[in-house]
Amino acid sequence: MAADTSHKVLFEQYGVFIHANSGDGCIEQDLLVSGSIRLVDKDGEVLVEYRPLEDSVDPSNMLCAGKDSSSVMEWGQSPEDRPHHGLEAQHSYETEWDMVNAVSFKKKTCSNGEGALNHSHERNRWAFTFSVGDLSSVTVKMDGWSYLFFKLKEASVSLPTLHFHQGGSAEFLDSLRRCALLRESPEDERCLLVSTANRALSQSFENLLEDNNFGLVHKLKKDPYVTTLGGFSKVTNYLFDAFRGAEEQQRRRPPEEVADLLGEVIPGLEINQQEESGFEVITRIDLGVRPEVQRGEPLSTEQWAEHQDTEGRILNVPHLKQVIFKGGLCHMLRKDVWKFLLGYFPWDSTLEERKALQRAKTDEYFRMKLQWKSVSEEQERRNSRLRDCKSLIEKDVNRTDRTNRFYEGIDNPGLVLLHDILMTYCMFDFDLGYVQGMSDLLSPLLFVMENEVEAFWCFVSFMDQMHQNFEEQMQGMKTQLVQLGSLLRLLDQKFWNYLESQDSGFLYFCFRWLLIRFKRELSFHDVLRLWEVMWTGLPCQNLHLLVCCSILDSEKQKIMEENYGFNEILKHVNELSMKLDIEEVLRKAEAICLQIKGCKDLPHSVSDILGFNTDEVTAGDPWSEVTAPRKTSPAPSPSPTDRGQGAFANGHGLLRESSQNGCGVSFVS
Amino acid sequence: MSGKTSLLKVILLGDGGVGKSSLMNRYVTNKFDTHLFHTIGVEFLNKDLEVDGHMVTLQIWDTAGQERFRSLRTPFYRGSDCCLLTFSVDDSQSFLNMGNWKKEFIYYADVKEPEKFPFVVLGNKVDVTERQVSAEDARQWCQENGNHPYYETSAKDDTNVAAAFEEAVRRVLATEERTEHLIHTDTVNLQRRPRSTTSCCS
Repeated sequence: MAADTSHKVLFEQYGVFIHANSGDGCIEQDLLVSGSIRLVDKDGEVLVEYRPLEDSVDPSNMLCAGKDSSSVMEWGQSPEDRPHHGLEAQHSYETEWDMVNAVSFKKKTCSNGEGALNHSHERNRWAFTFSVGDLSSVTVKMDGWSYLFFKLKEASVSLPTLHFHQGGSAEFLDSLRRCALLRESPEDERCLLVSTANRALSQSFENLLEDNNFGLVHKLKKDPYVTTLGGFSKVTNYLFDAFRGAEEQQRRRPPEEVADLLGEVIPGLEINQQEESGFEVITRIDLGVRPEVQRGEPLSTEQWAEHQDTEGRILNVPHLKQVIFKGGLCHMLRKDVWKFLLGYFPWDSTLEERKALQRAKTDEYFRMKLQWKSVSEEQERRNSRLRDCKSLIEKDVNRTDRTNRFYEGIDNPGLVLLHDILMTYCMFDFDLGYVQGMSDLLSPLLFVMENEVEAFWCFVSFMDQMHQNFEEQMQGMKTQLVQLGSLLRLLDQKFWNYLESQDSGFLYFCFRWLLIRFKRELSFHDVLRLWEVMWTGLPCQNLHLLVCCSILDSEKQKIMEENYGFNEILKHVNELSMKLDIEEVLRKAEAICLQIKGCKDLPHSVSDILGFNTDEVTAGDPWSEVTAPRKTSPAPSPSPTDRGQGAFANGHGLLRESSQNGCGVSFVS
Repeated sequence: MSGKTSLLKVILLGDGGVGKSSLMNRYVTNKFDTHLFHTIGVEFLNKDLEVDGHMVTLQIWDTAGQERFRSLRTPFYRGSDCCLLTFSVDDSQSFLNMGNWKKEFIYYADVKEPEKFPFVVLGNKVDVTERQVSAEDARQWCQENGNHPYYETSAKDDTNVAAAFEEAVRRVLATEERTEHLIHTDTVNLQRRPRSTTSCCS
C-alpha cells in the first residue's frame, strides 16, 4: 500500500469484516469476509474504499489459529497500528478476543459442513469504493464490537455493513469528520448524517465528549492526517531539540504528549500552519512601526451629564464610547453607564422608557427566581441536574472574591445575592446551567450594580458575549485560541516559532485569560476598568485578543531568553496574575491594533478577526475585494446582539413554557 | 540512583471543592487560604524533597474538577507518575465519584498496566465535624480497588498532607525500581520515534 503514490491514505484499518449471509438457509453459516477500510484522498476527492483481504490470507484460518496461538494477537494488535492503547482499548480488545473464539468455533462447524469459504473472485465481489461526497449517512451500532452501515445519497445502491472486529471504527469516524460534517440524526442518535459542504474540523474536539455515546473510545490514537499536518512544527522542534541535551529531551516527553493531545482537542491550529485553502500562506509581513498611544482620563460625571438630553436619551454615543475606551469610567458612573455598555439599556431610550423596562425586567426576574425557590426538597431529590447546579454554585460562591469587602466573611449578603442570581440564571438558561467561571463574571457586575435585578440582567448581557466559552463544546474557547494564534504569528514570527517549538502553539496557557476575560489576572478594580473598555467595542472587535498579545509581547523576551519549555511557560503565565499594569496593557493593546490596521498586506484572516473588513478603512482596498468571497468563515466572534437574540429567544422559550405550566416545569430540558 | 534529582509528576484529581488546590498549597507553601478561588484551567507547583535518600522534584498538577472542562483537562494527565485521588470526608458524592476519576485518569493518562500504577487516596477535610464518609468505608474502597494507600488529610490543619505526598513519591520510586531492571530508560524515546518518522515520510 505504501507504493500507492497518487493517493494519500488518510486512514486505514484492517480487520474489518462483512458478515455475508451465504444464502442457503442455514442461519449459522455466515460468510465472514475480512478486509481493510481506507479513507483515501485522491486528487482532492475523498474516497472510502473497502478491500477484502488478499486470498493468501484466509480469514477463517486466522480465526481458528487465534484460539491457541499468538497469531491473532499480532494480527489485531500490531504496534504500529496502536501506539496508544488505554484501558478502554484493552477492554474492547478483550471483547474482540471473546468474539474471535466464538466465531472460530462456528467456523469449524461450517467447514465440516458445506459452507466453506469461496476464494478470491468470490471475495472480490465484496470490494467497494465510494466518494464521501456521495455518502448520505453512517449508522453506528454496537454488538460486542461496533459496526457501521453506510447509506449513499443514491438510495438504490446498498452497501454491506462493515464490522470492526479489530476496533478502529471510532478512528475511522474521526478521520471521516475531517473531510465531512457528521451530525447526529434527530431521529436516531446512532445515525450520523453526512454533509461535505463544510469541513468540520471543529468536530474532532467534540469526539472527546461524544465517544462515550458509541462506547468506542480510541480517541487517543493519533491519525496520520494530523501527524502530517503537524509535521511542520516538528521540524522546528528538532532544531530546538538539537540544542538541548538528550536528557532534556527525555524530560520533555510528557509536555510533548500533552501538547499533541491538546492539538486534538483544539483543532484549527493545523489550519494555522497551512492556511485553510493553501493560498494564503503568511510569509513575513512588514508590520511597520508600532505607534505611541496615550491613555486618557476616566469619563467624569459632568461629561456624562452633558451627553444626555432632557428626556434622558444619550447623545453623541460614538464620542462617549471613545472617551470610555481611552480612560474608562469614574467609579460613580459605572452603575449607570455599564447598563448601556452592556446593552441592557438602549442608548436612545428615554428615562421613562428605561423605568418601564426596569419594571418589566424586575417582574421577569422574580418570576424566574420563584421557579427555583419554590422547588420542594422532594422535587429536588428527583432533579439531579438542578441539584448538581445548586451544589456547584454553593461551592463556587464560597470561593469567589472572598477578600473583596462585598463578599467577605460568613453570611455576607453579597454571597446570598451571588448565589441567587446564578441560580436564577440557571432558570433563564437551563441548557447552559452553571459552569465554573460564571461566578467570576458575575461578581464584579453585582459589586457595581449593588442590585440583584440589575446585576442579573447585566450578567445576562455579558453572558450573551461569553456564552460560547461555557458551552458543552467550548467552541468559543477553541475559536479564540486559534484566532490568537493567527495574531501572534503575524506580530512576531520568531516568538510564535518559539512557542511552537515548545509545544505551546495551542496557547493553552491563555485559557484562563480568555475563559473569564482576565478576571483572575488583574486586581478587582483593574478588572472593572478592562471590562468597561472592552465593552465599548473600540478600537476594533476582539480587543481582548489584543490584550493577550499585549501581555505576551511584554513577556516574550523573558520566555525566550530563559528558554522556558511547555511547563515553564504555563507556570510563568499563571504567575503573572495580579502583577499586570492594566493601563500599560491597554496602551500596548491599542498600539498593536493601530499597527496592524496600518499594515498594507494584512492577511485576510487577521482582518476578519479584528473586524477590519466590515468598516470603511479597508472598503476601498482592491485587495479586500479580491478576497471578499473568502468571507465564508463565520464571523470570528458573533456580535453580542446576534448571540443576545439567540440567548434571549432561548430564555423566552423557557419562560413561556414555564408560565403556562406554573412553577418549576422549566426543569424539563 | 546516584545524587541525581528526578522529576516526578503527580496529579490531584477529584470533585470540585474537595480541596485539591488547598492540599497543593499547604504542601508546597505551607499556607492555607480559606478564601482561595476555585481553579480555572490547570496549574502546577514544584517542590523539592528527599525521600529515603532520593532527591526528587515533585511537580504537582492541579485541575478544574467540573465535567465541562474534561477535554481540556485530560491532556495533562499524560506523563503522570502518580495520581492522587481526592475526596472530601464531608461530601459523600465526592467519595462515590472516585471510581470515575480513577477510570478517567487511567484512560487519558494512557496507563499501560493500571493494576501496577501508583494511586494514593486522600480523604480531605478531616477537620470538619460532620463527616459523611467514614474512614472504614474509605479504607475498604481502597482495598477493593487496587489496595491503594489511604490518607486522612486536612489541608486546613496540616494533617497528613506531607505524609500523603511523600507516600506518592515512595510508590513511584518503588515502581520505577521494579521496572528499571526490565526496561531501559530509553523506552520513552523509542515510543515517540515511530510517530515522528511517519510524519516525515508520508
